[in-house]
Amino acid sequence: MSVEKYITAGCIITKGIIYKDGTSVFENTHDNVEGVLASIYQYFRFHYPKYYKMDNLCKLGWLAAEILVKDSFQKENYQPEEVGLVLANANSSLDDDLKYFETTKEVSSPSLFVYTLPNIVIGEICIRNNFKGEHAFFIQDTFDAGFIEKQVNYLLDNNILQACICGWVDVVEQDYKAVLFLVEKKESEKSVRFSAENMERCFKNAGS
Amino acid sequence: MYRLPSSIFHLPSSSINYNMSSTVYIAGAGVISAIGNNGAEHLASFEREEAGMGEITHLDTVYRNKLPVAEVKADTKELASMAGLPDDMSRTALLSLIAAREALNDAVIQGLDGLRIGFVSANTVGGMDRSEHFFIDFLKDNQKGKLRNVYDHECGSMTEIVAEQLGIRDFMTTISTACSSSANAIFYAARLIKNNVLDVVVAGGVDAITKFTLNGFNTLMILDKARCKPFDEHRDGLNLGEGAGYLVLISEKVAKASKKPYCTLSGYNNSNDAYHQTASSPDGTGSYMAMKGALEKSGLKPSDIDYINLHGTGTPNNDSAEGTAVKRIFDPRYPPMSSTKSFTGHTLGASGGIEAVFSVLAIKHGIIYPNLRFETRMKELPFEPEKRFRKGQKINHVMSNSFGFGGNCTSLIFSKI
Repeated sequence: MSVEKYITAGCIITKGIIYKDGTSVFENTHDNVEGVLASIYQYFRFHYPKYYKMDNLCKLGWLAAEILVKDSFQKENYQPEEVGLVLANANSSLDDDLKYFETTKEVSSPSLFVYTLPNIVIGEICIRNNFKGEHAFFIQDTFDAGFIEKQVNYLLDNNILQACICGWVDVVEQDYKAVLFLVEKKESEKSVRFSAENMERCFKNAGS
Repeated sequence: MYRLPSSIFHLPSSSINYNMSSTVYIAGAGVISAIGNNGAEHLASFEREEAGMGEITHLDTVYRNKLPVAEVKADTKELASMAGLPDDMSRTALLSLIAAREALNDAVIQGLDGLRIGFVSANTVGGMDRSEHFFIDFLKDNQKGKLRNVYDHECGSMTEIVAEQLGIRDFMTTISTACSSSANAIFYAARLIKNNVLDVVVAGGVDAITKFTLNGFNTLMILDKARCKPFDEHRDGLNLGEGAGYLVLISEKVAKASKKPYCTLSGYNNSNDAYHQTASSPDGTGSYMAMKGALEKSGLKPSDIDYINLHGTGTPNNDSAEGTAVKRIFDPRYPPMSSTKSFTGHTLGASGGIEAVFSVLAIKHGIIYPNLRFETRMKELPFEPEKRFRKGQKINHVMSNSFGFGGNCTSLIFSKI
């Protein structure tokens, strides 16, 4: 049975600008990807020791998820099993794969090796927030809002999940972009209807 | 073909709670590993205390003569002829078919055609061995390389090939949760029977040694350059192994019409400590919760367990975390325990299935397997594993541990009827 669903929060990180629910909340347009990620972490005064060992894909996804749920998500309204994630990107974990591959010429790095999978970013977000619901990571040429919509609808309509974080987290070398949506069944003040069109619109507004 | 989403947690709503208290019986077992091609050969190797590790002979790798592995003692051609399949098939599918067929034949179930039968098979490498063949030619010239070699790359392909050969058409699914994969397959099979979705399930798992896994574990710096020494103070990592192990699980109704089953699957639990991508939490939270949950499910006390088949990979991290968890549950009365990975190496996605077979055979034959090469007790533990093969034991309840990367921990308990 199909139920109405809402995007109750959104977070975009692209080209050194962070948008929360459509409003720019932080800018650092002069740094490289490492500098941008570090400045976001510092600006929001996050404190999470595990952050430092993450690869750039995880850092980007983790930061976007932190900002997404901050002041927007009432975790206590849900059981851990009721919250899940559906993410996608175009470059898998290639950013870390390349760095790992470099090290194989000398001594292969175990700490880079453990990030050579794209879905590790989902694990990092789940561990941080104690989410234990279904999750999936898809590799697509471009952001396919219709596909993501279908996946999330399936999970929420069948009560497999009650809330879902979905969207795009991609980084390869100096190109990066994160667009995350929080999807719930309850309307909120700022929420918009969950649909492929609304996700597509946010994604495009954030530029490519 | 009836398939469910890969999750082990969702059953179709129409099947919920039909007869949740029903018992799940183990009617058959089949196994292949470095120490034997069938159940009987394994028992003989255990009694001789003969391990299966050696120099690499079948895998084409730069680590030949550098890292010991526990290969099944047959090349892919020989396995293909044992399985009755073409020899360009993935080693994974061949091993799987040989052990699954042994299990099904061993079960001797009457009137199989009229029953709902499923195949729940786990693996982590899929047809990776063939993919590696493909890339040898392809990387030199991207117009070269036989695409046939990547056709069965997916883990699910292995299950489909074997289900087809076994003639199982009612249900099949593949589970891939690293080193707890096939324990979870058995767990899931039990739930399918309890929820009256199926009458008979062949469940377990398989993995072949590939460059992919050997290089991966080597990168993680957890391979012992000598034969592994599980639960020893001076342990230095694991040896990679390969093989397959399957059980045939049957419902109460089927059990009544069949030969006497081996035992029951009385308890099972899966827990996750969500600590690190590859390591267990130092205090063994995941393994503690899995063992405790399985005991609760079975209604048994720790003192009821007569033998623990440890996960015992031989890595400093696993054995210390698992040992700490065992201590938390069993102290001060420890049952005999051992890691049979000291014989078979760590067979990854197959280990839970292979060791479930060993657990079932331990009950049937009253035996306790030795933990080879054990010398020095671990500093932090007040117990040590069994060193010698023992028979004539009274074994009523066996716990089998399988802990995977990502903190995915499963314990199964088998009980005498």
